[in-house]
Amino acid sequence: MSTLATLPTLLFLDTLFEFLRPSTLAGVAVEGLSLAALYVMITAGLSLIFGLMGVLNFAHGAVTMLGAYLGGLVTVLLVGGATGDPVRFLAFFVATLVAFGALAALGGGMEIALVRPIYDRPPLYQILLTFGVTLILEELARIVLLFYGIQPISDWQDALATRPAVLGEGLGVAGVAVDGLELFQILFGILTVVGVWAFLTRTRYGLYVRAGSEDDEMLAALGVDVRQVFTVVFALGTGVAGAAGVLLAWDPSWAASVPLAAETLLPAFVVVIVGGLGTFRGTVAAALLVGVTDAIMKWWFQNYVEFTGLPEITVFLVLVIMLIVRPQGLYGVSEVGGH
Amino acid sequence: MSGADTGQPSDRTQTTEEILADDGTPWYSQYLRDHRVHVLTVLLLAAYPPVYAALAGSPVSGEAIALLPEVQTMVAVLYFGLFAMSFDFISGYTGYLSFGHAAFYGTGAYLTVLIANGKLVTTLPVVGTVLTPQTPFMLSLVLAGLAGAVLALLIGSVSFRLSGVYFAMITLGFSQVLYVFVRNWDFVSDAPRDGVAVTGRTTGFEIGVPAVDGLNVAVGVLLGDSVSLFGGAVELSATEVSFYAIGAVVLVSYLAMQRVVHSPFGRVMIAIRENEERARAIGYDTYRYKLGAFAISGFFAGVAGSLFAAFRQSVTPENGFYFLVAGDALLASIIGGFGTLVGPLYGRLFEESVQEFLSKSGSGGGLLPWLEANVPSSVLQAELFNGLTVAEAIDTFLNGHAELYVGVMFVLFVLYVPNGLLGTVRDRAGGTLAKAGIPALRRWFR
Repeated sequence: MSTLATLPTLLFLDTLFEFLRPSTLAGVAVEGLSLAALYVMITAGLSLIFGLMGVLNFAHGAVTMLGAYLGGLVTVLLVGGATGDPVRFLAFFVATLVAFGALAALGGGMEIALVRPIYDRPPLYQILLTFGVTLILEELARIVLLFYGIQPISDWQDALATRPAVLGEGLGVAGVAVDGLELFQILFGILTVVGVWAFLTRTRYGLYVRAGSEDDEMLAALGVDVRQVFTVVFALGTGVAGAAGVLLAWDPSWAASVPLAAETLLPAFVVVIVGGLGTFRGTVAAALLVGVTDAIMKWWFQNYVEFTGLPEITVFLVLVIMLIVRPQGLYGVSEVGGH
Repeated sequence: MSGADTGQPSDRTQTTEEILADDGTPWYSQYLRDHRVHVLTVLLLAAYPPVYAALAGSPVSGEAIALLPEVQTMVAVLYFGLFAMSFDFISGYTGYLSFGHAAFYGTGAYLTVLIANGKLVTTLPVVGTVLTPQTPFMLSLVLAGLAGAVLALLIGSVSFRLSGVYFAMITLGFSQVLYVFVRNWDFVSDAPRDGVAVTGRTTGFEIGVPAVDGLNVAVGVLLGDSVSLFGGAVELSATEVSFYAIGAVVLVSYLAMQRVVHSPFGRVMIAIRENEERARAIGYDTYRYKLGAFAISGFFAGVAGSLFAAFRQSVTPENGFYFLVAGDALLASIIGGFGTLVGPLYGRLFEESVQEFLSKSGSGGGLLPWLEANVPSSVLQAELFNGLTVAEAIDTFLNGHAELYVGVMFVLFVLYVPNGLLGTVRDRAGGTLAKAGIPALRRWFR
């Protein structure tokens, strides 16, 4: 290492060669896809809500955090030490449903009680309001956790322990070493994208949502109860964020903890801005872009660069560069979100 | 401005002077009349430490300590209030939400600590060795401000091509890049994640007139000077000295920003907030005005960060650069009044008072110790349910959960007091307090 370090160019070329090997590239691609799946799940709700109502929901990360704890709680209650993998997967889907339902109810209630009175104010006030809600939700979570003797700052190990053994193993798929958890996340992400896409394009409500994103006054004039549509979309958006939280509770590099709220909120903002405010297609594309970039940078950090913050810093650099080059994002319309 | 116009303003000043001379009033009386609310506020704030000390020693000491914020908290209110004011200066007056404002605060704080630790010693030709740990604090303070201003120019030159949510997000992006960078940069200390403390000097940071020893006092809880005045008639503890010294810097900074806000430059800032296209159509180069305002704002944010580092003697990435630091400034601005400049200081004061009252902070006051001392133990030991006693329930909600109450307060303010404390008061009075305050009071009491 020390002799090689004297020849930085050679070392760089060597690392580049290592990086370009098909098996490395495939591994990085799978990791990138799994990260993209996580990002798309975290961001989908945020993007829907912003697209329709123009509300940048700062409480989104806190909802994901609550989803992680709620889902973790359900799996911990259902799964014992000797439970087999299929039952654990079943418990996971029960947890996802519970988290989705509970947080959709929370989101709907929040929309009716707090956000609805201030739609006509400048966007700043909606950001502020949801920011205040974040503080409340995080602190309530902290109070409850401390009451039950769980450390709010560190990862919740009990929930991590309910993960099926197969997800912790490396699987060989077509000669490429792939983590079981990554495949599961990719699958779950695809399901979410297909679900949201089907909701948007194949249901009457989805039609309202798309129409409302274009012009909600016209939609109201056509006899649709826009207030109800807003509430339903807010509930769905927060519900999806909660479901994303359940998935994160099984991932050791995220896991259920109170700081998860800020950890997920910031990448979600990056993805939603890079994709373009209010387009679901853009959100998916941006999640792929950010996820793959993140995975590539993680690999380079592990193998070449010694700067620990590299992957994290790159995510924000993607945001900054995108805003400089193309402020409206990948698929955005330049008028949305302007001054 | 054409050549013919240049004579006019001086003509006008002359006539103003003449009018004043006719009245026989000295030149400063008009100035004092304009600033009587300022003078009153400063006097009230200056009276706080002795009043607090007097109340803490009086028969109602328990209640006073529980209700009133400590002097140390007041120092934090002052320097953070300055940061919140600098945030309001750009966000409240031009309407551009600077969500990454923590970058300037953190830069100021880190620069101060790094200079004090001798990390930035450089040798220049002619001048010699500069930025040694012995650098006077007043110089580091200005340098911190300048660093904030330069950073603001760099970030602003890119960011001001955007507006609305995009502007908020790109500034957030820049500040988070800096946050991650500082968190991992081992130049600042061996454990950059834990922040960096002042190790390079054993004396506190002095605020005062540079190069005149007698006119300087050191700030800080441990390293600050305690002062005895008038032959021991007035004894000031290190914290109280810091309160006055930091307060003086904050006052000067506030007056400078207030001057800018009320200048033609400030009018253009407000015009940009109200209708930027029209401002541009009239002929103002709004990009330059925004950039200038951002640099001024960055300067005072850097100064605030420097004061913070000087008082706390340390800084971490979390309390310097993290985006929630800017969130706190936003909070203070909303509670105090967005676009009122001094409002954020009151907002911070209100917020800190509520926090300290409802959440035990160290040895400080608050409701919890008061309840424990004054509620009969039969009530405290009573069981609510499942073995949970009243005392435990109180402790659960009043010990270290300040954020909960801040959040509730924040939501209530956004919903019911959208103009903030000072904004609402100004609406009632019908103008700024300096102009409309006293007539409004007269109307009230008539």
